[in-house]
Amino acid sequence: MTEHGPRQPSDLEDELLVVRCQLGERSAFDALIRRWHAPLRQYIRRMTGDDAATDDAVQEVWLRVLRGIARLREGTKLRAWLFGIARNVLMDRLRHKYAWPMAADVDLDEIAADDAPKHLEEELAVMLMALTRLPLAENEVLTLFYLQELSLGEVAQVLGIPVGTVKSRLFRARQLLRQEVARKGMTA
Amino acid sequence: MNQTNTPSSATAAQFSALQSLADKQLSWTSRLGHVALLLGALTMTGIVSALWLTEPHLPVRTQVAFAVIAMIGLSWTVFAVWVLRYRQVLLADQNVVAGRMAVAFTSLLLLGALSLAFMQPGPKAYAVVAVGAGLLASAVALLWQSHRAFNRLLQRRQALERELAEIGK
Repeated sequence: MTEHGPRQPSDLEDELLVVRCQLGERSAFDALIRRWHAPLRQYIRRMTGDDAATDDAVQEVWLRVLRGIARLREGTKLRAWLFGIARNVLMDRLRHKYAWPMAADVDLDEIAADDAPKHLEEELAVMLMALTRLPLAENEVLTLFYLQELSLGEVAQVLGIPVGTVKSRLFRARQLLRQEVARKGMTA
Repeated sequence: MNQTNTPSSATAAQFSALQSLADKQLSWTSRLGHVALLLGALTMTGIVSALWLTEPHLPVRTQVAFAVIAMIGLSWTVFAVWVLRYRQVLLADQNVVAGRMAVAFTSLLLLGALSLAFMQPGPKAYAVVAVGAGLLASAVALLWQSHRAFNRLLQRRQALERELAEIGK
């Protein structure tokens, strides 16, 4: 549990919440909802782009969380587990969008040579509009990594793909985002 | 969600809806009701099957009736297991209560089987007693396991609280 160095207080708080929920403390469920509702909603809203669909999906996510938390073996992985559930719900509802071909017209060699801007996190605030126009897979990986601040490992767990694939998808997504910004004449 | 809501009122409404969802999903009545249904259906199936097996020279109609009742009991058992496995997974404290209920139900079942064996001794009656004893032993093991899981979580909770308190110092 601690093999990756000292754990952050937020990780400890997450695990404590999971343990309290598993013990059956009703107030812990309220605390869990208060802590994670907004980030989950934000992620789902970005993917659906629609308030009504978001509310519906969020309700479904929490239903699955309430039903499944007793079986969560590693409380340390709460964040990845929650976003994984949200992603499964989105997959069920947006299957047609996820089935879109991934942006294949991007030259990966060119991407590999691309040095990612240091201040991309700040720029993303300006790029949110462009982000919504990206294919769902690219939008999702940028949202999880930059907006929800999940680690590469957590993103890999949520998406069910290797960390290497997450990295290449992030490169590709950044490239696409830049192209989208340039195409619309926005300044990054 | 109403688009005219201010963000704060919309959030409050969402929390309230989610709290209602949690109340409904985590309800003790519903969960332990399904545990009672499971144990009741199991007990009923056990008793009817025991009577069916031990009672000699039963008319065909009675045998058919026993078979139908046993099937109904089995169906309710399967339904309750499905609910508890996929819809209302028990939390640690509920598992302890469910374990106690299982011990109580299976004790009753064993008592019934023993009375039957006392009134009509024979290999079939002893077999039913053995089944009852096996179920009671399983229930006790289940209760012991749920107590262990509960205590393990309590210890983890205390350790995490200590760790967080040390960080906060």
